[in-house]
Amino acid sequence: MNVEAISTALIAAAILTSMPLMLAAVGEAIGERAGLLNLGIEGSMLCAAFGSFWIALETGSVTVGLLGGAVVGLGIGLVFGILATVFHANQVVLGLGITLGGTGGTAFLFREGYGSTQPLLALGIGRPFEGWLDWFPVIGPAIGDQRWFVFVAWIMVLAGHFFLWRTRAGLQLRAAGESPFGLESVGGNVTAVRIGAAAIGGVFYGFGGAALSVIELGFFSPGITAGAGFLAVALAMLGRLSPLRVGLFTLAFGLLTGFDTGLQIAGVNARPELLRMLPFAGVVIGLAILGRGVRLPPALGQPYGGIASRR
Amino acid sequence: MSALPVLPSERTLADSPESDQALASLLESLLAIAVATAISGLMLLVAGHDPLNAFAEFVDRTLLRSAGLQEVLVHTTPLLLAGVAVLIAARAGLWNIGIDGQVLVGALSAAVVGAWLVGANRPVLWVGAVAAALIGGAVWATVPALLRSRWEINEIVTTIMFNYVAISLTAWLVKGPLRDQTLVASQTPLIPPALRFASLGDTRVHIGFPIAVATWLVAAWWLHRSVAGFELRAVGGNPRAARHAMIPVIVVLGAALIASGGLAGLAGGNDVLSTKGAFQAEWYPGYGLSAFALVFLARRHVLALLPAALFLGTLAYGADVMPRAAGIHSAFFSLFEGVLLIVLAAFRWRPWRRLGGGG
Repeated sequence: MNVEAISTALIAAAILTSMPLMLAAVGEAIGERAGLLNLGIEGSMLCAAFGSFWIALETGSVTVGLLGGAVVGLGIGLVFGILATVFHANQVVLGLGITLGGTGGTAFLFREGYGSTQPLLALGIGRPFEGWLDWFPVIGPAIGDQRWFVFVAWIMVLAGHFFLWRTRAGLQLRAAGESPFGLESVGGNVTAVRIGAAAIGGVFYGFGGAALSVIELGFFSPGITAGAGFLAVALAMLGRLSPLRVGLFTLAFGLLTGFDTGLQIAGVNARPELLRMLPFAGVVIGLAILGRGVRLPPALGQPYGGIASRR
Repeated sequence: MSALPVLPSERTLADSPESDQALASLLESLLAIAVATAISGLMLLVAGHDPLNAFAEFVDRTLLRSAGLQEVLVHTTPLLLAGVAVLIAARAGLWNIGIDGQVLVGALSAAVVGAWLVGANRPVLWVGAVAAALIGGAVWATVPALLRSRWEINEIVTTIMFNYVAISLTAWLVKGPLRDQTLVASQTPLIPPALRFASLGDTRVHIGFPIAVATWLVAAWWLHRSVAGFELRAVGGNPRAARHAMIPVIVVLGAALIASGGLAGLAGGNDVLSTKGAFQAEWYPGYGLSAFALVFLARRHVLALLPAALFLGTLAYGADVMPRAAGIHSAFFSLFEGVLLIVLAAFRWRPWRRLGGGG
């Protein structure tokens, strides 16, 4: 293989592998904009990944599987939203509970259903624009030859961005995290807005988890997210909770961490354990550099008690 | 990014446990256990098991047999230490979600120092390895602690990231530089059973358990009866007021997270010096999230930690025996603990109180 073909393959792999992470990070960003800090994404993604894998395996349809994963994400998002608002649950504890329960629950159900076998999805996934961008060197085929859901994912990110910054509902959503008292004082319903934001975010990370098992890997195994859900929380903060910036940031992150494959091809002999450490160490370094540059919504993580609770 | 503030109402709830509140907390915890048992029992039913049968088997194996009870205490030991670690950070207003990483680094440090001291006599080995575990865990918490206290970078994300760094780093060390080349498996040199923590009498329980209980008692005393403990709780309750009272908030926050890491390291060291004897690659006990279930089951009250730890220790031993005894995968117990945490989180809702009052 020549250098050009290797570069194309590396970039294409980075675009594909960063896509589930990107959807999860944008889902987290939408929730955080409304004041909801969700540490349950790791467990939610596992639930969505397992659900969509199971549905795709049973129905033989990638699309139905993906939609199933989105429904799982929506359901968990609603539960999170309702418990965090109506029930005033502590968001960190709630999120950790969802992660623990989701990790354990999917592992339990997978072992119950499949024992120690490892079923694979042998479903073709269309590449609608294959060859369309071949005229552009290196990057052209890396983008053009992607599986169809990659384009859907990017459209979702753009739609999320448009929704947050250009619609009335998006403005209300941001107000719920920025100034919940202000939102209520102009007649908004903070609880309803936050539950809605949690549901929308849930659809995003539901699709993210589904894309991980059904689109990217074609199989499910317990703990398959390997920290992606927590990386999503960090990437959402590093991308300053703006869906477009989070998306581009995740892509750049995917390209950087994809370098390990490139290094191995180039003959650099590095232990895989050390390479696996890089994304997580990189996030800490990124946070340390940006430091206070990451400005989070003032009401993030706090339950809303209504205007009467204001002191 | 500044720390996520805690609701004022939660602070007062946590810091002034009056007797009627203590009773209410106990009832809530018991109710949470009941709700979690019902939900996860339903899951068992859906998966085609007989929940009542499984429950009877679980109680029989863990609580009704002498060997089971001994194992429960063995499994309680690291959880109690991890719980104290979570609680100390929580009382300072910090979320130490990096317990798992600190456990791994503490365990590896204890394994290396313990193997190095194999020639020395037992107490020297114990003290050296325990100190190594303490220091290892504390060192692993230092970077998040500095970032949090000095530059106000939220410890939630950094401690989680450090878990994954620790998983990879310890795996690399134990497969590479620190590996015992004479063994087939990737692990540090084995500390012979005769040199590990002594058993109490004829039982499986070892001196790690009394050490953990003593640590817990010292922590409880320190938190509620010492000046430093008061300062820590003051910072956790209201950092601004603490600053006005001339408490060095930065130092307290940093020290709390480092101390928390040290205690978590101790939990890892306990396992190496008792049941494991070495640090093995792919060993991942996952005490961190269980410790959160423990602390919130205890409603963040230090004296309630021991009973809560005994409960989670029972679950942990159940996860060990139930796969063979009743064909229920150990992951079921993570599911149970997750449901328990969710229910406990939701229990801040008290319909008989005005919402504005919180609580």
